[in-house]
Amino acid sequence: MATREAGKKMIMLKSPDGMEFEVEEAVAMESQTIRKMIEDDCADTAILIPNINSKILSRVIEYCNKHVPTTGATGAAASDTVAPAALAEDLKIWDAEFIKVNRATRFDLIQAASYLNIKGLLDLTSQTTIDTISDNSLEEIRSFLSTKNDYLPEEEQTIRRENQWAFQ
Amino acid sequence: MGTCSLVRMMSLLQLDLRMLRMLLALSPPPSSHWKFRKHPPLMLMETETVVEILPETPLMETETVVETLLELPLDVLMDIFSLLELPDLIRASFVCSFWRSAYSSLHNQLGQYKRPQTPCLLYASEADGENGACLYSLAEKRVYKLTLPDPPIRSRHLIGSSYGWLVTADEKSELHLLNPITGQQIVLPSVITIEQVEPILDSAGAVNNYKMWDLEQDDDPNEFPDCLCIRAFVFPDPPTGSYIVVLIHNPERYLSFARVGDYKWTSLPGENYEQCIHMDGLLYAFTETGGVYTFDLTGPTITRNIIAEEMENYISATDGHMYVVQAPWGDMLQVCRDTECTEGFTKTKKMMLYKTDMAAKELVEMHGLHDHVLFLGRSQLQCLSAEEYPQLKTNCVYFTDDMTYISKYKNDDRDIGILNLENGSREEIVPQLWCNWPNPIWITPNLMRMNM
Repeated sequence: MATREAGKKMIMLKSPDGMEFEVEEAVAMESQTIRKMIEDDCADTAILIPNINSKILSRVIEYCNKHVPTTGATGAAASDTVAPAALAEDLKIWDAEFIKVNRATRFDLIQAASYLNIKGLLDLTSQTTIDTISDNSLEEIRSFLSTKNDYLPEEEQTIRRENQWAFQ
Repeated sequence: MGTCSLVRMMSLLQLDLRMLRMLLALSPPPSSHWKFRKHPPLMLMETETVVEILPETPLMETETVVETLLELPLDVLMDIFSLLELPDLIRASFVCSFWRSAYSSLHNQLGQYKRPQTPCLLYASEADGENGACLYSLAEKRVYKLTLPDPPIRSRHLIGSSYGWLVTADEKSELHLLNPITGQQIVLPSVITIEQVEPILDSAGAVNNYKMWDLEQDDDPNEFPDCLCIRAFVFPDPPTGSYIVVLIHNPERYLSFARVGDYKWTSLPGENYEQCIHMDGLLYAFTETGGVYTFDLTGPTITRNIIAEEMENYISATDGHMYVVQAPWGDMLQVCRDTECTEGFTKTKKMMLYKTDMAAKELVEMHGLHDHVLFLGRSQLQCLSAEEYPQLKTNCVYFTDDMTYISKYKNDDRDIGILNLENGSREEIVPQLWCNWPNPIWITPNLMRMNM
């Protein structure tokens, strides 16, 4: 069992494959979805997280645990000794390590971040995707997709005409 | 910390796995920002045998990123799209109809559009004709060319820019709201409906010029079409779902407002207004003599509330131009832009920052913006966190020209650049490609359309 620190409220998160994770409420509330459940009093002591398996949920908790703002007695002591810039740098390095996962895991993490509404995690996991969209032409993206353009020619012409500027 | 030991054990296990993978040289490249290249880098070519054996090499991973994206549910795709800069978002929406539907859903649910768009510089250039405008993206460091509706942008004066909407004054001072991204343009009420303005008709009965009822004897009425409107602000008006445009105009820097769709301007009491902001549902107006007033524009009758007749200290016209903005952390900031005349042109010399202490009615000097950035000019002032806009330089002011009667100086060089508040150094934004007229202005691209 986890060691409980005095005065810290704990929440049990359950994955659909039957695993239970006991986390500090503050850590769980990094997820806006869970925060809303707790604030609306919809959460009992245990919350079932549908669609997110224990492997992904444990990684999400790992992320939240690292990113939860350090407050309270122990937190204050930590930030007294480490400069904010150094903390931010440390987080950056940690994030870069965290995201070294295979493609399937990253997409699972994107879906989990989206469902649980954790902005930082979504930004982190989506970055490669965003870079791909930003750095390639429409034709290139389509050819990676090996998909055909499924617009009707006149349909495409109309919407393209309206947004011609974005294709320069 | 107090998370369960299971989690810790699992992360340790994962760490071990990761280390194992690193030892086997199977790990992805060090940066998550690794970008797809058409031709794999040499380094990867050399390890081609490894690439072929392993199912999850970086090369294959990025090539199939987009493919896997097709499997994501619509709402997740929308979440990813909401992180894109506008041109990328528009391009992504053309990939296929499924992506188009993610874009359309996002577009219809404005609250979900999370990505803070980086401001762009809008200007006209000689090469692009009378209706062409350029949008310089600070995020992408490139120019997009836009074609705008009539009247020609080269003949307009840009008197405001808020929420992605430009407020422009044409040669007859008539005002338009223009979204340069969507091309939507809305005609604002005629300036002849402003209380202090009277039209002068020509022999055919057409409006030829304007007269203001307290025009002084030695003022030349012919100069007014250019200088009637000084500054304009656009604010959302939640009760009506519309927008309010607030004008600071001559004579005497009066204040008038109109909702989009109104047929006339409504005058507000007071004069000598310098700046306006919209905060907590109220219009705050600041005068050049240190007065601060609020107006609640939602009620049937509008009254002026006095916050301060005269602040203990304030930025006067002799100190420089005065600007107001609400910072992301809630404080109301005032900026003083001090200029000097060099080689016949006005140049920004210094910017001073103050926090407005409303209770004590005084300005408290601030030293720098730390990790924030200011955008200032004829556009609505913006104070942004550099953390959210990584391409911007912290503790800097991005400024455009903002002389009060700028339309009298159409051929002057424009005073545009980035001023570093730390050391006072100044740099150029982009090699100067703009025409001196219309006055270049900051704009934050927005896809929103107004319902008329």
